[in-house]
Amino acid sequence: MADGLAAKPPASPRDAINAALLAAHAEHDRSALIRCYAEAADLVAEQDFDAAAFYLTHAYVFALEAGDPRAAALRARLVAAGRES
Amino acid sequence: MAPLDDRSTEIDPLAPHRAALSAVVRPVSTAQGLPNAFYRDPALYEVEKRRVFFDGWAGLGFAHEVPAPGDAKPVDYLGQPLLLLRDRSGAVRVYQNVCRHRGMILIEAPRKIEGAIRCPYHSWCYGLDGRLVSTPHVGGPGRNTHPDVDRGALGLLEVRAHVWMGVVYVNLSGDAAPFEEAHAEIIGRWAEFDRPALFGGPESAFELDVACNWKLAVENYCESYHLPWVHPGLNSYSRLEDHYNICEYGHYSGQGSLVYSPRIGDGSDAFPDFDGLSGKWDEGSEYLTLFPNVMLGVHRDHTFAILLEPRGPAWTRERVAIFYADDSALSEPRRALRAEHAAQWKEVFVEDVFVVEGMQKGREADRFDGGRFSPAMDEPTHVFHDWVARRMGAEG
Repeated sequence: MADGLAAKPPASPRDAINAALLAAHAEHDRSALIRCYAEAADLVAEQDFDAAAFYLTHAYVFALEAGDPRAAALRARLVAAGRES
Repeated sequence: MAPLDDRSTEIDPLAPHRAALSAVVRPVSTAQGLPNAFYRDPALYEVEKRRVFFDGWAGLGFAHEVPAPGDAKPVDYLGQPLLLLRDRSGAVRVYQNVCRHRGMILIEAPRKIEGAIRCPYHSWCYGLDGRLVSTPHVGGPGRNTHPDVDRGALGLLEVRAHVWMGVVYVNLSGDAAPFEEAHAEIIGRWAEFDRPALFGGPESAFELDVACNWKLAVENYCESYHLPWVHPGLNSYSRLEDHYNICEYGHYSGQGSLVYSPRIGDGSDAFPDFDGLSGKWDEGSEYLTLFPNVMLGVHRDHTFAILLEPRGPAWTRERVAIFYADDSALSEPRRALRAEHAAQWKEVFVEDVFVVEGMQKGREADRFDGGRFSPAMDEPTHVFHDWVARRMGAEG
């Protein structure tokens, strides 16, 4: 069994963020949700801005709900991309 | 053959009671009380909700239930899901507690709104001022606007609200006269008490669930006739002849006392009086119902409000809150005094429970005709009946 575990490839950055997002959702940790969704957006922004906008939107909405100061910058990125008014 | 939606086939729940309602609005000397059905019939209860509550101003809650900006509390107001909150400016506001998107309930339990109200369904977000501020993915994934979704037209549905004497009043229909205009008479009568209400805190509030129609609680509160029989303890210093009727047809009614003399516990401490009261209040106190459902009392050292929440034709929740004159009354050393004070009032109100529940049971007697009033002693109750009957459509 130990060999099997050792053979498992390391988690990709994407897998790590997914795991962190699931944990943040499970714990209703809004600050972590904002951070994780923003990191997810950064991870895919160059290859796929539609995907990035999806993640940015979630980061922004959770920041808006929490009254978190990160909301302004997140909104600004969406507005700049024509995804928010 | 009549079409299926022919409204002429619908039954008007008021139709069998037109004649009886006309008798209710006669002068007190010949008036009858409201018929039994107005205390029992679910169909009449539904009509009453709209005509007696929603079409005018009625009590919803207390301002102290949302003490700080961002505090929000969902309220079931006769089946209407409302949201009571305090906005960033400190103003109390009331909204329908639903998202403008799919009608999802927004807030399920009291809590602090730190930023925006986020609908738990698709995460449309609203500011405390009701503005729709975010519509995630409304134009497709990651596209948060759509030309056909006008945020400016989709804010929360606000309900007119007004705070007076610590109570939040709402007008659901939105077309009643402004509160200050509709209730100018009682506001003027008690202008000396019209100042910020200082709620005594958790020990100054209690609730009673009573198995009666809400109107019976009002009727009992309005009159002093029952005091010597039901509240013998009060009668020792507050005799029947020390009371007077207060009758303002179309507005409010109740009773006054000429011998208010506070004594709480062993009498070694007392609450401070309100500043600047006229001599009338040295020994005077008054107890009025602001129709339909807010029963108020004023004294030189405290006021109280009893908010009646109808929970069905034969079930009412009485929510009581006591207010004081200044911060010294709210001090920690006076916590026990406040608790004792609330216990004194609770004892009085509990003494009334068997009466209002007994009258409810009495409404099952099918030959009871609403009863006759003592023109000398019962007029405040008749004033209330007259008001209810006219709101329900009585002519006379």
